[in-house]
Amino acid sequence: MYMSVAELVDAAKTTKKPIYELMIEQEMETSQSSREDIIKTMGRNLDVMEAAVKKGAEGDGVFSTTGLTGGEAVKLRDYRATGKTLSGDIMMQAVQNAISTNEVNASMGVVCATPTAGSTGTLPGVIFTLRDRLNLTREQMIQFLFTAGAFGMVIANNAGIAGATGGCQAEVGSASAMGAAAAVEIAGGTPDQCSEALAMAISNLMGLVCDPVAGLVELPCVKRNAIGVGNAMIAADMALAGLTNKIPADEVIAAMDKVGKGLPKALRETGLGGLAATPTGIRMKEKIFGKSRAKA
Amino acid sequence: MTVNYKSVFDIIGPIMIGPSSSHTAGACAIGRAANSIFKDKPTDIVIHYYESFAQTHKGHGTDYAIISGILGFDPDDSRVPYAIGLAQKQGINITFIEEPEDSPINHPNTAIIDLKNDSKQITVAGCSIGGGTIEIREIKMDGFDIKPKGPLPILLVQGGEDDHQNVTDQLANLTKVNDQQQYQSGKGNLYEYDLDRRLKAHEIDELVKNNNKLVYL
Repeated sequence: MYMSVAELVDAAKTTKKPIYELMIEQEMETSQSSREDIIKTMGRNLDVMEAAVKKGAEGDGVFSTTGLTGGEAVKLRDYRATGKTLSGDIMMQAVQNAISTNEVNASMGVVCATPTAGSTGTLPGVIFTLRDRLNLTREQMIQFLFTAGAFGMVIANNAGIAGATGGCQAEVGSASAMGAAAAVEIAGGTPDQCSEALAMAISNLMGLVCDPVAGLVELPCVKRNAIGVGNAMIAADMALAGLTNKIPADEVIAAMDKVGKGLPKALRETGLGGLAATPTGIRMKEKIFGKSRAKA
Repeated sequence: MTVNYKSVFDIIGPIMIGPSSSHTAGACAIGRAANSIFKDKPTDIVIHYYESFAQTHKGHGTDYAIISGILGFDPDDSRVPYAIGLAQKQGINITFIEEPEDSPINHPNTAIIDLKNDSKQITVAGCSIGGGTIEIREIKMDGFDIKPKGPLPILLVQGGEDDHQNVTDQLANLTKVNDQQQYQSGKGNLYEYDLDRRLKAHEIDELVKNNNKLVYL
């Protein structure tokens, strides 16, 4: 099993195999399953992602039962149609895809957690935008997910991916880094560039806290996936342009782990700090759960 | 380094009903572990929540998720949001307790499940470590107090030295055993195996065929 980004990159360079291929081979070995079965399972995950990307941006959109989130992917869709976006249509398509997916999640719809449900929009945000930008085949999109998974496993096993232990940097930060690295590979970048993209993506979101209003995966989680996907695309482009992070990826992951452990409990998915502790955030919590519970 | 995430599908997946992988899908997985150990219909379910679980279980759907797991549902089962009503209809008493102190198994996403009926009673302490992946850190059953390291899969075998030897032999053909513990109670011996990979359904069936008290988590 690949335990570090350096091991993964070295193996890709020595064997001259793409990272997705190394991931598929590792999965065949560890799960004792056939290549066909593994690829089929990943295909199902891709289908669930595609359905969520679509569902949140159709008609009037989807809404959570609390009313805190929903209907905003549709606003982005309509805004994009005016052709006047400031950051360009590619970026806003990525943002729409991410927000749509997380709105579906908040409305208790079906999603594929990548790596978590709170960060579930980031990777689909990248992949379905690159599909249109680079004319990716279904096979290539599945390859993208294996590459993202390979880097995600290294992050998860070295630093963790739970907001309750590592803050939002561990969720959206990890998703963003996975998306950045996989985007580099699918765009024809080198394994080293994948590693740099991952390192830059995490470095840029280092310290991001987990402060959900009322403890719900809604505010600010849905829009945090917009920054997750934007950061992934930017980090991938920076790496493809030849920029480097200077601090190696594995050291960045270790730093993220340390930063996460140093975060106070109030900023690790307790709904007690950050935006959750603002007057408006507290009012929302009281409205949803009642006053007595709000003190808990 | 503890390898909790052994499969690419721990990271790209699971497919689940929102909104939280740790507080919904992970809670469902802790419930499923309790279901696998209890192997029967409970009359009473008591859930103790700690730290982040205690603060946010209502908003995350943790309550219905954990009950759905105890009923044996998968995290993407469309019945998941209705699990509490379905359990109550079967006459099961359910209690949720928000514990004020720190987690006794040292993780912010901790749930401790007590299940009982007329013939038995168990306690399972699990934590949800992110992305739907869980650890089981304590199990009380049949007079045993089992304290696994945490990461799954875990195999529990009750019986004598013969059973131990048989299962050890069978596992040798399947996967590496990362750790092994032996526990004793008035009811005899229990052997805990921490396995390197998840077993396939037919492999588990094969093990159960020789030992019907075997628990696979």
